[in-house]
Amino acid sequence: MNLRVHCRILCSITLATAILLAGATLQGHHSFTIFDQTKVVTLTGSVTAFEWTNPHAYIEIDVPDEKGMVKHWSVELGSPSILMQSGWKYSYLKAGDKVTVRLNPLRDGQPGGLLIQATLPDGRTLGNGPGRGPATPAEGTAR
Amino acid sequence: MNRRWALVLFATSALCLPVNTGAQSKAPDFSGVWGPYRGGRGADPKLAAPPASPLVLKPQYAKPYEERRAAEAAANSRGEPLASAAVSCIPYGFPSMMSVAVYPIEIIQTPKQITVISEAFSEVRRVYMDKAQLKWDDVPPGYYGRSVGRWEADTLVIDTVGIKESVQYQRMPHSNQIHIVERIRLVSPDILHNQITIEDPVVLEKPYTYTLAYRRLPDYEMVEFVCDNNREYVDEKGVVRLKVREK
Repeated sequence: MNLRVHCRILCSITLATAILLAGATLQGHHSFTIFDQTKVVTLTGSVTAFEWTNPHAYIEIDVPDEKGMVKHWSVELGSPSILMQSGWKYSYLKAGDKVTVRLNPLRDGQPGGLLIQATLPDGRTLGNGPGRGPATPAEGTAR
Repeated sequence: MNRRWALVLFATSALCLPVNTGAQSKAPDFSGVWGPYRGGRGADPKLAAPPASPLVLKPQYAKPYEERRAAEAAANSRGEPLASAAVSCIPYGFPSMMSVAVYPIEIIQTPKQITVISEAFSEVRRVYMDKAQLKWDDVPPGYYGRSVGRWEADTLVIDTVGIKESVQYQRMPHSNQIHIVERIRLVSPDILHNQITIEDPVVLEKPYTYTLAYRRLPDYEMVEFVCDNNREYVDEKGVVRLKVREK
């Protein structure tokens, strides 16, 4: 391999890597690509559990359809730390509360999704951490 | 007490004071909680972290690295991300733990030891001040390695060896000979920069340097992080899935 070809390969590797790593100092717990971020589903139902846990919090809800059949959904949120940065508290939801959630559904078709916005029983709306949803974002993004 | 005895007492107590290196007494205090600082609109550009240097791997490591990145990107675009240690709630280790999403770090600074706690996964590093570093092969490879620190004027310089090969920053490969040097200083009273340089004579053609910027969070109380509700798992095809509850 002559020097020029070698340099061309090395330089292109260097450039490609520089592009890949640009701004890559952030990392989160997992990739969000298991959720279909081109789709939005809105569900209204009854909370069976609000799990204020790591690495993620979850809202478990029973959602009745128009025929009265109930389907259970698991809704993933950010971690408690990230949720607190956008105004959430562990006590804002409890079993039996009626809640409306907008979410990006799982791509594999299971009844689960990533929260975009929740409407609490008192009408307040909260997002899913800084940069996700309507709450006043803290600096940075949730990813 | 007459004046002469007072002078003797003063002189004696001065002699008994612990020996101070001088640099330490002038060292800035980094103790407290620090969140990632991203600058943004209206921010002073001097306070933002400078861009990272190019990553130049030795050719035999560059190709597998690029192939892995491409495979990851393809898997993500299919919505089937590949497994990573984080999916199993395994902590990131150093240096990744210094910059996890929007999670803050806490620095506890004493003359002999500086402790860094990352909120995500509650990871802890201990930096022993003014101690000699060991050779890389005298440190059992682990998540945080062995870190020793010293002050160079207002800059805290931390030297780390002993990071195991599976503990990677941004999937960068490295050998057991990895050597990481951090240069940490205040660029304004409430903005801290950590310039991180990774050297590896086996894998890297030249050192790779990136800088993290933090802002002081004076009133922040660190949140606990125990990974006891991990619903992600890796299926038989090596794809990350989420368990949903049936009721």
